[in-house]
Amino acid sequence: MGGLIALVLALATIVAAFLESSVVGILDASPVYFVAVVVAGSAFGTLPALVTAIAAFALYDLLFTTPHLTFVVSDPKEWLDLVLFLVLAVVVGRLSALGTERAAEASRRAAESSALFAISRILATEPDIESAAPQVAERLVRDGSLDRIWIISERGQRTHVVADSNPGAPLPGSAIVTALVRTPGDAPAHWVRAHEPRPPEARPAEPKRAADGSRIAHGGSILRVRMEADGVPIGSLKAALRPGAPEPDRATTRLLALAADQLALAIRRDDLRREATEVEIARRADAQKSALLDAVSHDLRTPLASIRAAAGSLADPEVSVDAASARSTAAAIDAEADRLDRLVREVLDLSRIEAGSLSPELEPLVLADAVGPVVDRLRPILGSRRITLSIPDELPPVRADAVLLDGLISNLVENVARHAPPPAPLELSASSEGGRVRLAVDDGGSGVPVAERERMFEKFQRLPGAIEGSRRGLGIGLAIVRGMTEAMGGTVSASESALGGLRIEVDLPAAAAAPADATPVGTVAPASQSTVR
Amino acid sequence: MSGALAAPARGAHLLLVEDDEAMRGTVAANLAAHGYRIVEAGDVAEAIRRWDAERPDVILLDLGLPDGEGTTIIRRVRREATTPILVLSARGAEPDKVAALEAGADDYVTKPFGLAELRARIAALLRRTAGPAADRSGAIRHGRLTIDVARRIASVDEEPLDLTPREYELLRTMLSQPGRLLTKARLLRAVWGTAYADEGHYLHVYVSRLRRKLAAADPDGSLRDLIVAEPGVGYRVAEPP
Repeated sequence: MGGLIALVLALATIVAAFLESSVVGILDASPVYFVAVVVAGSAFGTLPALVTAIAAFALYDLLFTTPHLTFVVSDPKEWLDLVLFLVLAVVVGRLSALGTERAAEASRRAAESSALFAISRILATEPDIESAAPQVAERLVRDGSLDRIWIISERGQRTHVVADSNPGAPLPGSAIVTALVRTPGDAPAHWVRAHEPRPPEARPAEPKRAADGSRIAHGGSILRVRMEADGVPIGSLKAALRPGAPEPDRATTRLLALAADQLALAIRRDDLRREATEVEIARRADAQKSALLDAVSHDLRTPLASIRAAAGSLADPEVSVDAASARSTAAAIDAEADRLDRLVREVLDLSRIEAGSLSPELEPLVLADAVGPVVDRLRPILGSRRITLSIPDELPPVRADAVLLDGLISNLVENVARHAPPPAPLELSASSEGGRVRLAVDDGGSGVPVAERERMFEKFQRLPGAIEGSRRGLGIGLAIVRGMTEAMGGTVSASESALGGLRIEVDLPAAAAAPADATPVGTVAPASQSTVR
Repeated sequence: MSGALAAPARGAHLLLVEDDEAMRGTVAANLAAHGYRIVEAGDVAEAIRRWDAERPDVILLDLGLPDGEGTTIIRRVRREATTPILVLSARGAEPDKVAALEAGADDYVTKPFGLAELRARIAALLRRTAGPAADRSGAIRHGRLTIDVARRIASVDEEPLDLTPREYELLRTMLSQPGRLLTKARLLRAVWGTAYADEGHYLHVYVSRLRRKLAAADPDGSLRDLIVAEPGVGYRVAEPP
C-alpha cells in the first residue's frame, strides 16, 4: 500500500514538474496531486488518502514553492494556495475513500444477506432440521471462511450433534472456547474467552492437534455461539477457525449470530411439531382405547347377560325345568359362549398385532387346504347362500404362517357373514402372477362406497350397512386381516365385486414350487400292480 | 395298561388334571354321567401321586398348573407307559401345544371346548389303545381305505392308489396312529428321517397332493376330510366313518 502511494506521489511530482517547467509553463500544477489522493482514497480508504494529502502538501511545499527544498514559504499568496491545496486534498481524499468504502460495505452486506437468505431458504424448504442443518453448516463454512462448523442441540442432559460439516472426523473438544457474547440492545456482539462448562462432545483423546498436525491454540480457535429460542436454550453453533486465522470479522460474526438464531428457531419449531405429533398420536390412541372399551363393554356384556340369565333360570329352585327346556336353555348358553369366544379371539388377535408380537413362521402352504376347512367350519354362520370355491390345482404354494393364514381367511369369511346377509353369494377364488398369489373374497352384498373402503381396514369401523343388532362385531375384523397379511409380507385391498358387493383381495408371496418326489423309500415291493412309483 | 386294552370305552378310568375347580367339577360331572370313572388332580404333585396310585387309562391335562408345567407330568408318564394324554390348552398357544405333543402328548383340545368334542377325543384315544393299528394280516384299515404294510400298497375299496414313496409313508404314518395328533416334526422324522432339511419345508404341499389323490380315488368324498390339519401344530387322521 505504502509503495503504491509513494509511486503515485512520485509520478504526480514528475508530471507537476513537467507542467511547471519552461516547456509547458503552467504556474501552478498542484491539482495533479489530487489524482494521487483520489487513487489512494479509492484504493485504500480514508486514512491512506489523508496521509497522501499531507505528503502531497509537504512535497509540493518542498519542491515547488520558493524557496525550494524548505518548508518555508516566502510568498503569502503561495501560502494561501498551499493551505487551500491541503484542504482540498483532504476533502477529495475523504470523498473518494467514502465512495469506495460504501461500495465495499454494500457488497459485503449483499454477500451477507445472500448467505443469510440461503440459510433461511434451506431451513424453510427442508422438511426437518436433520436434513437442513448439514446444508446450513456447509454454507457457513463457505461463507464464513471457516475450517469446520458443527451444530449441537441440547435437551436437558442429552446432547446431540445435529450436523457437522466434516462428519466422521472426531470433534475437537476443548475446555476453553471463544464464545460470542450478545447483549440485549444495540451493543455489538463480541467474542470472549470462556470455559466450556461440560464439553458435550467430550472426547478427551488428543484434542490438541488439528488435522494438519499444527497445534490448535489453546481452545481459542473454537468458536461457540449459543442458540436460544423463546428463552429456551437449544444448543450451540460451533466453529473451528482455519489454522492461524484471527478472530472472525464483524460480517462473519453477524453471520454466525444470525445463523444461530435461525437454527435455534428451526430446532425449536421441529421440537414443537414433534411434541404436537406425539400428543396427537397419544390422543388418537386414547380415542381408540375408549372405542375398544365401548365396543368390549357392549359386545361382551350382551352375551354375558344372556348366559347369566339362562344359568340363573336353570339354577332357580322356584322354576321347574323340564328336560327339553333345560336343554334349549343350555343350547342358548352354548351359542352365546361361542359368540363371546369369537369376540375375545378378535380382541386377542388385534392386541397381538398391535403389540407386534406376531412372529410368523413362514412355510410353503397350499391355499386350497387352508380355505376349505375355514369355509366348512364357518358354514353355520354363513347361512343358506351359494358358496363358490375356485382355487386352481396348479396354484403355487404361498409362503405364509399356517395359524395366521387360517385366521386371515376366517376373518374375511366372517366379515362376509356379518355384512352380506344371505342369500348374497360368497366366492373365494385365487390366482397367481409374478411370484405372488392372490386370494379374492367376493360377496353379493350391498358393497361399500369407494370413499369408505380404505377406512374399513382401520380399527373400530362399523360402516353403515353393517347388520345392526346382535350379530355386529367389534369392527376390527378387517384391521386384523390387514395386520395378519402385512405380518406375512402381503398386501390387502378392496374393490367392487363382480357379484355386486365387496371384493377383498389378499396378495401374498408365493413359495417356490415343491421338489419332485421321486426318491424311492426303502425297498419297493415287486407288486404286480405297482402302486408305489 | 393291559386292563384298559380290553376295557370298553365306558367305564374307562380318567385322570383329570385341572387347577380351576369350577371347570374341573363341571367336566368331571359330565364325564361321570357318561360312564367314565374320574380321578381329579389340581396340581403337578397331586397328578403324579394319582398317576402312580391309580394308573388311569387316559389323562386329561391342563398345561398351566400352579406348581409347575404340565409337560413335567407328560415326561414322567412317558417314562413308564404309553397311556394316552389329551392336553387341554388355551387358544393361540400353538408353541405350547407343539411342545406338549413333542414331549409325548397324543392330542389336544382348545379351551373353550364343547363337552361333546372332548368326549369324542377321549373315545378316539381309547379306541387307539384298544387295538393294534395293523391287523393280523399286516393291513391297516380305516373305513374304505386299506394299507397293506407288507406290500406297501394303499388302496380304496381294493382299488390301489398311485402314490409316490413319500406320500405312501405319510399316509402309513398317519394311519398307524389314528386319533393321535402328529406334529410336523414327528411326521418329518417318520417320513424323511434325518435328511428332511430341504424337502421337509414342503410337508404341507406333500400332504395336499396326498389328499387330492385320496379324494380322486373316492368319488363320494368320504376320504376328502381324512387328514385334518391343525394349523400351526400338525395333522390328525379323522375317525373312520
